[in-house]
Amino acid sequence: MLVPALLLSILYWVLSVVDTSLLGWQALTRPIVVCPLAGILLGDVKTGCILGAELESLFMGISAIGGSIAADPMTTSLIGAAFVIKANASIESAVAISMPIGTVMATVTYLPYGLFAPVQGYFSKLLQDNKVKQFEVTVFLLTIVQTLLSAIVLFICIYFGVEGIQAAIAAAPAWVMTGLGAVSSMALAVGFAILLSQIVSGKTIMWFFVGYVLVKYLKLDTLAVAIIGTAVASTIFFIEKMIVEKSASTQVQDSQEDFF
Amino acid sequence: MEKVVLSDHEKKLLKRIELRSHTCFLGATMVAMEANGFTYSLIPAIEDLYADDPQGKAEAYARHQQFFNTHAVPFAFVVGLAWAMEKEKKEKGTIDGETISSLKSALMGPTAGMFDNLFFNCLRIIAAGVGIGLAKNGSLLGMILFILIYGVPQSIVKMLLCRVGYTYGTSFIDTMFSTGLMESFTRAASLVGVMMVGAMTAGMVNVPLNLILKIGPATLEVAPVLESIFPGFLSIILLFGYVALIKKGWKPMHLIWLTMAVGLIGALIKIF
Repeated sequence: MLVPALLLSILYWVLSVVDTSLLGWQALTRPIVVCPLAGILLGDVKTGCILGAELESLFMGISAIGGSIAADPMTTSLIGAAFVIKANASIESAVAISMPIGTVMATVTYLPYGLFAPVQGYFSKLLQDNKVKQFEVTVFLLTIVQTLLSAIVLFICIYFGVEGIQAAIAAAPAWVMTGLGAVSSMALAVGFAILLSQIVSGKTIMWFFVGYVLVKYLKLDTLAVAIIGTAVASTIFFIEKMIVEKSASTQVQDSQEDFF
Repeated sequence: MEKVVLSDHEKKLLKRIELRSHTCFLGATMVAMEANGFTYSLIPAIEDLYADDPQGKAEAYARHQQFFNTHAVPFAFVVGLAWAMEKEKKEKGTIDGETISSLKSALMGPTAGMFDNLFFNCLRIIAAGVGIGLAKNGSLLGMILFILIYGVPQSIVKMLLCRVGYTYGTSFIDTMFSTGLMESFTRAASLVGVMMVGAMTAGMVNVPLNLILKIGPATLEVAPVLESIFPGFLSIILLFGYVALIKKGWKPMHLIWLTMAVGLIGALIKIF
């Protein structure tokens, strides 16, 4: 299983970097693409395609929105392909085996986000010091390192089996996991605070709470809030426009009177 | 709005920025999400505009290192628009930095909502439907068609939107300024921007407090009590605590370290 495990981990790494960071499509990481490619690497394209169709329909409805953790479609596909093509498992049993690993991997890929949060400050500092080239390089390095970590875990999963990884996660003290989770959900507040301190004034601060209440109490989505906000803002804008035009026309009248 | 003709220099820059705007998720962090991809996309523009103005350059970079998050396709539109705004700011002074930040934050939520539905919930399902039908019989054509239907159009729409954002952004700002309405527009934009930050805070920030006080024989869970005063009470306190620290001159870096320390130590002594 060494060569397939290595090949599939490299495929994972390359697809993550290319699709997520370079193209931004989020298309090449879907089962219908990953499975056929894994099939090509493992020497059975037909089975890869069939498995891809099977998993794509399975994952059709599942999506990770807002950081909630569901099984990661890409790892599930890769591990499924390894079991079906290399271990001659049936597609059904391969799905049954690979789904739990996909869930573990979703956690493993999500946790580094909390861990790498301080890097953001380093990036901003590089730019402030006008080290633009260095920013460009390190920002790529971050992506490469983050996805490499996941690729290594995937390799271990395929080569040694998923039990080892599950044991390792269980052995890590629980507070590290809860702590990193807490850091992730609070770190966003730093981003919002920096943004807010730039654009807010005493005259607009109440609109922060209007937006907050619309989502928290009335459970509206952001598009709905934006429509309400734009309606209010454009009404104010048109009233001001009327005032500006009125005062402009009175000025014209005044100057005409002066002339005569 | 009059038709805008791009100079050769602008066309060359636009090409580079269109390509770079694909890197929306590049180096994403929990603090600023797509801000690194955004800055990366704008580097050619900022280097070009502020070549002789190191102070302005540093300010522009700081501006685009602020939190940004939307769907990958309209991302390119906002990048194009941000370029137009930076150009207007530098060359004509018709727009200020706060307005640029406000407009960007006002655009995050609505563009994300719209394009998530358009691409993720609609085009992807169509592409998968076509692809699955072919792949089921073991044909590689399924994979190829999926990429052609779902992947490639994203790039095409992105490039179009980037160009639209730049050209119409420029003429829009010029019109606003020449009619003397820029100030009113600035106020309106910051209203929507601030409101959207409020909406996003409500949806995304969470302080997972799990503190249980023991008062004699009775126990008291703190989080539900605070929630009953005001939902998300702690997120608001946290956010405005950070704002106060920033006003006091704290660097974002220090805030992040503080957050890490609080999160980990808090988990260790079991308040999370």
